[in-house]
Amino acid sequence: MANQGEKSFSGALLLCLALVCPILALLQPAPAFTEGRTVRVGVYENAPKIFTAAYGKPSGIFIDVIEAIARTEGWNLTYVSGTWAEGLDRLEQGKIDLMPDVAYTADREKIFSFHAVPVLSAWFQIYAPRTSTIQSILDLNGKSILVLERSVQEEALARISKGFGLTFTLINVPDYDTMFERLARGEADACITNRFYGPMHAKKLGLKDTAIIFEPSDLFFATPKGDPQHLLAAIDRDLEELKKDPNSPYYHSLSRWVSEEVRFRLPSWLPAAGAAAGAALFLSLLGGVLLKYQVNARTRDLQKINQVLGASEQKYRELVMLANSIILRWSPDGRITFLNEFGQRFFGYFEEEIVGRPLVGTIVPGSESTGRDLSSMIAAISHDPESFERNVNENVRRNGERVWIDWTNKMVPDEQGGIKEILSIGSDITARKKSEEEIRRLNEDLRRHAEVLEQRVAERTAELVVAKDRAESADRLKSAFLATMSHELRTPLNSIIGFTGIMLQGLAGPLNPEQQKQMRMVQGSARHLLALINDVLDISKIEADQLEISMSTFALGPSLEKMAALVTPLAVKKGIELVVEVPEPGEMITTDPRRFEQVVINLLNNAVKFTEKGRVCLACRDDGKDYLVSVSDTGIGIAPEELPNLFQAFHQIDTGLSRKHEGTGLGLSICRKLLDLMGGGISVESEPGRGSTFTVRIPKREGGIA
Amino acid sequence: MKDTLLIIEDNEQNFYMMSFLLQKNGFAVLGAGSGLEGIEMALHHRPAAILLDIQLPEMDGYAVAAQLKKHQELAHIPIIAVTSYAMSGDRERILAAGATGYIEKPINPETFVMELAQYLKPDSPSRE
Repeated sequence: MANQGEKSFSGALLLCLALVCPILALLQPAPAFTEGRTVRVGVYENAPKIFTAAYGKPSGIFIDVIEAIARTEGWNLTYVSGTWAEGLDRLEQGKIDLMPDVAYTADREKIFSFHAVPVLSAWFQIYAPRTSTIQSILDLNGKSILVLERSVQEEALARISKGFGLTFTLINVPDYDTMFERLARGEADACITNRFYGPMHAKKLGLKDTAIIFEPSDLFFATPKGDPQHLLAAIDRDLEELKKDPNSPYYHSLSRWVSEEVRFRLPSWLPAAGAAAGAALFLSLLGGVLLKYQVNARTRDLQKINQVLGASEQKYRELVMLANSIILRWSPDGRITFLNEFGQRFFGYFEEEIVGRPLVGTIVPGSESTGRDLSSMIAAISHDPESFERNVNENVRRNGERVWIDWTNKMVPDEQGGIKEILSIGSDITARKKSEEEIRRLNEDLRRHAEVLEQRVAERTAELVVAKDRAESADRLKSAFLATMSHELRTPLNSIIGFTGIMLQGLAGPLNPEQQKQMRMVQGSARHLLALINDVLDISKIEADQLEISMSTFALGPSLEKMAALVTPLAVKKGIELVVEVPEPGEMITTDPRRFEQVVINLLNNAVKFTEKGRVCLACRDDGKDYLVSVSDTGIGIAPEELPNLFQAFHQIDTGLSRKHEGTGLGLSICRKLLDLMGGGISVESEPGRGSTFTVRIPKREGGIA
Repeated sequence: MKDTLLIIEDNEQNFYMMSFLLQKNGFAVLGAGSGLEGIEMALHHRPAAILLDIQLPEMDGYAVAAQLKKHQELAHIPIIAVTSYAMSGDRERILAAGATGYIEKPINPETFVMELAQYLKPDSPSRE
């Protein structure tokens, strides 16, 4: 990749560098602030970044860089050698001041301090023996991998393992040399190293780089936490200057150590032309930047995929293991291959106890409590799961408790399309079943009760029919009885009243005054008896709905005058004034004349009967819709508490009066019922001791009659 | 000449009371205790009017009225029902059966003759 970049951009870059380089050359190094200081630097073996050269001198890119900085800053460097892990420990304990080649991580930031300008950028690459088939991350599954202990690679591999769901063995080694040696000896399947070490050492050990490149990281010097020697600011400042100048020791160091290719090419160009060498270095760096960009992009994609895969895997695991459903997989021979956590808890088995065992005899009883053979049902499901896609059957818990499960069965096909497994997802519906059973039982009870009730209703209806028949026949009997009684009572009364009248007329010979007086008493009693019979007959007819109204139109005035005339003799006898205010002779009324007159005469009789002095007034008004015929008196009046019961049958006010005022107590109730039948009404206003006014309302038109 | 009235009435007191009253008022009175007897007497005597009770033994007043009307020579004689039947429809029924008038029992002796007179035809051919 560096080669391609070089070819395409070399012309333009050469021109560019020709302008830039003189400017860089003019820049002065910054003044030193920490002169004469001794800085202890950790050394470990990670060529070419840092290592101990054959003659015991620390070497490598980081040594070149820190020595250049030390020169600028006037530091005296002392080196403390050890493994990578020892170096980190020493730095943490403050036994050294600087540890080179430390990748920045958030965890490390907690115990170390870093400067800002990276010394190098590195990425990691998996190396494997030349014959290895490892090509992708997934190929690492089940492999053993050598990794630098306490390195960022170790963490990176742990993340990959988790993200891809891979399992591999990590073998910690103290340094890269040991790593490559052990890999070359075949002690592991692969190792992970950086882009600096790998290319330099792979070939000679018969190892190769794989396509697995990941986790680019920036490498820094690290100080103990808080940078107690105040070294980091100086490092950044100087590093920035070094990176600006292509002729600086920084680029010299890179070109010397980075790769064979560069190492090979640079010496042929550099001594001859400084500018050309700078250009080559720059191109190499640019190539590195491009590569890094691509790696970054690819890494981001991978991370995204990892996240998605991880999330989906997590979701599946949660769903299957923690779902509040039983998730069961079983082979066509009826053996359990998987039971999720919920299912294990539900049935009361541990995973190792249940997996591999047959369904029948563990969670499936041989036969259901209903008698269904479940062994053959399981066999049927395993032959044709689709027919049993939804299946409710009884299961059994380890403790013997029977439960009802609603199963959904799906076939898991093998590569040939045959049945590999059956996936069964079940919900416990025992409670529901019980409720349904209870509901069925209650329904049955209800049905039985309903039957009993229906039976009773039928019986009661039959009784009622009989009772109704009886009542109806009793009613017919009553009507017949009334008719007969009416006749039978009137027949002797006819004689009594007839003979009394004949004798009082003197047709049977003259009567002396005492005889005349007594005959009048007989006549009065007979007439009263007749009135009683008539009232009882009327009430009976009304209650038997046998009273018929026969309408006709007649003149209202003359009718009222006739009624007034009937009570006049009694009024005169009692010394009561009878005032009659009748309408014009032309005023016609349409109603039942006989019943209308019965009502009016009843009211007039009452008024005269209950009035000792003063007057009785019969009047008629017309409110446009109805005729209002009123009978008012100046009699004893009616107490307010008596008014509501006034029109009820057999009600006569104040029984003490009955001796004085003869009557059946039926008159007013007959009046009200007659008026109801005629579409009219009756009302009363009264004040005890001052008198009463009864008002009869009769519709003017026949159409107003109900 | 006095008008002769036929009273068909099974109650002796009632018959005597009406008979006495009518005789005192100048009528000749014939009596029959049953419907059949009444029809026979009507055929024989051709009364000016027949006072007919409804409730009678064997043949009731409705049937008697109907029978009387069937005889051509009797059809013109006014029949006045005198009855204590007071249920609704009684009046209509007896008028439909052929009665000319209807007087409810108990009768009013002061107005009875007057009520009766209005049903008697002044030029009745059966006057004796």
